[in-house]
Amino acid sequence: MGVKKIAKRKLVRLSALGVATVVALPLLMGCSTAASSSSSDSIKIGAFFPVSGSLALLGEESWRGVQIATDLRNAAGGVADKSIEMVFADVPDVNAATSEARRLASDSDINLAVGSYSSGLSLAASEVFARGGSTFVELGAVSEAITDRDYENVFRFNPAAGSFTKLQMRFITEHLAEELGKPVSELNVILAHEDSAYGQSVAENAVIDAAEAGLVNFSLEPYNAKSTDLSSTVLRLKAKAPDIVIAVSYAADAILLGRQIRDNGLQLGAFIGTGGGHSLKGFHDALGEAADGVYDVDFTQIHVNEEFTPGITEFTAAYEERYDSLPASGHALANFTGANLLFDILEETNGSDDPEEFRQAAQNFKLEIGTTSSGWGFSLNENNQNELADVYVMQWNGDQLETVWPEQAAIRAPLPATPFGV
Amino acid sequence: MKKKSLIWTLGLVAAAGLVPVFTSDQYILHVCVMILIYVGVTVAWNILAFGGILSLGHAAFFGIGSYTVAILYVKMDVNPWLGILAAMVTAALGSLLLAVPLLRLRGPFFALATLAFAESLRLIAIYAVPLTNGSVGITTPPTQGFALISFSSREPYYYIVLAMALIAIGISIWIYYSKMGYHLRASASDDEAVRALGVRTPRLKLAALVISAALTGAFGAFAAMYLFVIDPETNFSTPLYSIQPALNGIIGGMGTVAGPIVGAIVMTPLGEWLRTTFSGTTQGLNFVIYGVALIIIVRVMPGGIVSGMKKLYRRFRPENRSDGTAPDASGPIQPEQELANSEGGRS
Amino acid sequence: MNLLVQTLVAGLLLGGVYALIAVGLNLIFGVVKIINFAHGELVMIAMYATFWMWTAWSLSPYISIFIITPLMFGFGVLLQRFILQPMQNSSPTIKIFVTLGLSVLLQNLALVLFGGQYRSTTFPWAEQNFSVLGVTATYGRITAFLVAIALVIALFYLMKKTLTGKVLRALAEDRETAGLIGIPVKKYYLVAMGLGTAMAAIAGVLIGPFQSVFPLAGAHFTLLAFVVVVLGGLGNMAGSLIGGLFLGAVETLAGTYIDPALQQVAVFAVFIIVLLVRPQGIFGGSARNAEVGLK
Repeated sequence: MGVKKIAKRKLVRLSALGVATVVALPLLMGCSTAASSSSSDSIKIGAFFPVSGSLALLGEESWRGVQIATDLRNAAGGVADKSIEMVFADVPDVNAATSEARRLASDSDINLAVGSYSSGLSLAASEVFARGGSTFVELGAVSEAITDRDYENVFRFNPAAGSFTKLQMRFITEHLAEELGKPVSELNVILAHEDSAYGQSVAENAVIDAAEAGLVNFSLEPYNAKSTDLSSTVLRLKAKAPDIVIAVSYAADAILLGRQIRDNGLQLGAFIGTGGGHSLKGFHDALGEAADGVYDVDFTQIHVNEEFTPGITEFTAAYEERYDSLPASGHALANFTGANLLFDILEETNGSDDPEEFRQAAQNFKLEIGTTSSGWGFSLNENNQNELADVYVMQWNGDQLETVWPEQAAIRAPLPATPFGV
Repeated sequence: MKKKSLIWTLGLVAAAGLVPVFTSDQYILHVCVMILIYVGVTVAWNILAFGGILSLGHAAFFGIGSYTVAILYVKMDVNPWLGILAAMVTAALGSLLLAVPLLRLRGPFFALATLAFAESLRLIAIYAVPLTNGSVGITTPPTQGFALISFSSREPYYYIVLAMALIAIGISIWIYYSKMGYHLRASASDDEAVRALGVRTPRLKLAALVISAALTGAFGAFAAMYLFVIDPETNFSTPLYSIQPALNGIIGGMGTVAGPIVGAIVMTPLGEWLRTTFSGTTQGLNFVIYGVALIIIVRVMPGGIVSGMKKLYRRFRPENRSDGTAPDASGPIQPEQELANSEGGRS
Repeated sequence: MNLLVQTLVAGLLLGGVYALIAVGLNLIFGVVKIINFAHGELVMIAMYATFWMWTAWSLSPYISIFIITPLMFGFGVLLQRFILQPMQNSSPTIKIFVTLGLSVLLQNLALVLFGGQYRSTTFPWAEQNFSVLGVTATYGRITAFLVAIALVIALFYLMKKTLTGKVLRALAEDRETAGLIGIPVKKYYLVAMGLGTAMAAIAGVLIGPFQSVFPLAGAHFTLLAFVVVVLGGLGNMAGSLIGGLFLGAVETLAGTYIDPALQQVAVFAVFIIVLLVRPQGIFGGSARNAEVGLK
């Protein structure tokens, strides 16, 4: 019994030590965060992107677009004579997004933040900003949920998931049906999608849009985002003998799906990707010629009608100079365009990032289609979603993803080709 | 002496309670809330560790807790406080699915089974869209109020989670010194012998599992309310809620009372600090450092920080030797012995 | 019927990959008694090596395998010597967390060095189709499958007939006794770890032509490989082969006939059920292994 008591006392003391650390820690951390100083001749903007973890690749691309926009704008004199300072935070997962949003939101100089590539991260980070009364502008994530929450201060400048599926259905009904020689009602269309938030939210929209487009023969084929083998999916597709497959895939699974469709000799009238992995150069690198003819609906890519996208050449040149390669996907451009729209709006508020002023300026700000580097216009709807941001149909040809539809953005007409060389 | 350490503890608990008075920085308070969530989950995880049982699947209970409160609140309009209680029940029920593996499997085999269990639940949460909204997840409504566990500032969250963590620690201490804890710890070093004495260790282990799961579910439920967004990738995350609590426990000192608390208090800010310091530099550098730090910490202090500090304490305070070398009969169990003595795949 | 046959073939080919990865893990798990959570990362390193040798020097995977495998053997020896050996007497739990740290370190080192890009080794021969009675497969997958079988037979022979193999088996069964009768335990642990790592490397090279490589490319395989090892029985190489093939078939069958989104759930369900019914694995480990337990 005596022994037990002594041990207990030691343990109690040790747990006391633990509590002491809890107390000491904030004080220590307080010192480090207090160091950030404010300056009236710069505008501080928070920037959340995942540059480590499983979303690192396109998160990094997105962040590059924002950096280029910031540097070009600062070199040209900034916004309302103030320079723009991006305060970056890496957000590999939702917990980190909440944490970092909390950290930046607690900086009294930051009333405005951009992000975030991924829908899950965007929901988490914007929730913190919106509930704290600050402004969050999404530049890349597509889930409808982001702008459907009725927050006054959450904006999205890029097109949402619905734009992707609407364009896909239009492309099928207005172009592919004729090319494949079948009435829309007889077309057998399957949407194969990975089951992360991206795939599931696109699928949800697709079901609605397919019904509206009169595609009666439309079905879904979900698969696990982390699969290392998609033979079952491909075999199921083969059994259903679709005319058109729409795919929503991230990087590794896009390559895997393409390779396994080719290996199994699955013949398709057309294959339409939905951005993600299907826009990546790695997709073409892995599949080579077999990728030629694959369609892809995504944010604006660099091979686009340049008259429709003023400013894109400057963007491409700046990207190449900085990173010694062409952009890996459309995300850098979309974020570049979005950041520039943001700066233009801040110009209207005379550099003020006050949430109320910003909201009014953003709602009054209008641009025609075909006036930005992505070809987008600007006009916010009642949910603060930019209605004039859109996606386009691209087609792989050689190692270029060329814009082919609709006509105003296209550099050539869509070419009939059997995807994956089968 | 006993009075003295009691006063110490009370003083420090009071000081922890006063953190929001010292600072109103919302980020620091946020980190403190996260620390306390991890203290809670790690302490819960550690209750199994008393019995020498290694779980790598606590994300399962955490996620069940999160989803219970979120589904009940968002889809059925049940008050989240009741939701937290319900979360404890569902997590405990969920843990019963692991009852048979717990009793049949030993050491690493049980750990692997728990890992697979949590992964399966994550996949099912993604699949069961009508119930869980799939990967898109559930967002709690912004309506604020104490009854809804939703506030604009961190302070109320901090006090709620501090109270929850203290309750969890209290339960953990109580179990540790109870007959149940004594038998659990004994079974950790030699299950056969304890059973030979007529102790029904399966029943004890099951009780430990259920209590551990229920507590984890409560913290999962609180985290759901605190972080607003509940999705399978996060709330059933193996790295965040299966590995991290186990890591905190190992680094602090597995199977001790103070170890998991110290571990969570050290590791949570470390990860946070690395990310904020190195973000914007080279992609992934913070995790490289984290990985190296992990290997070094585990190698230098295989018994955990608590026993490492005890050794230091003994070395530098020779005059206290009589006190410092008090027999470790009820000190930390040696995980070395516990798994070394395990009887293969079954028991 | 054709669908069933194709599904089974796809499953067996996939299972070959699992078996290939699992035999290496089986050696490490069975002999050195380390729950190696960095096993998938060893595969990932070999995948990167394959990619770079193909891209930089046009070395086909089937040539570079003879360079990468010995190098990775050396890497495994170094890991054992400098990271794992000093902790030999620590508890398995502690060792688990060292390998977890290693896994985080290697994944992110790859991210630091190569970025998050998805890279593919595009070796044309491996991608060519091969079709028998309406069932198709690529040469790359068939090669991986055949090598897996050959390797398991070779290992089986090594363990049964050679001195090294006999010593390794003795170590697997009872390290202390083996040490007492004068076997240099540390030296043979180096060999086992080296061999296990080399096996992971062979797997990485052979799946290179059909799996793209990125920092997290190996992560998914770790838990699956454990499932295979446990299913097949600890220390039982043939068991790992059959376990791998079985799991591959379960995965594709569940995918084709139930739902592709649930194929992993089916795998884990089978795993937990087998653990409960036959914890020593479907085909049993070396008998004493189950009794001595994991040190």
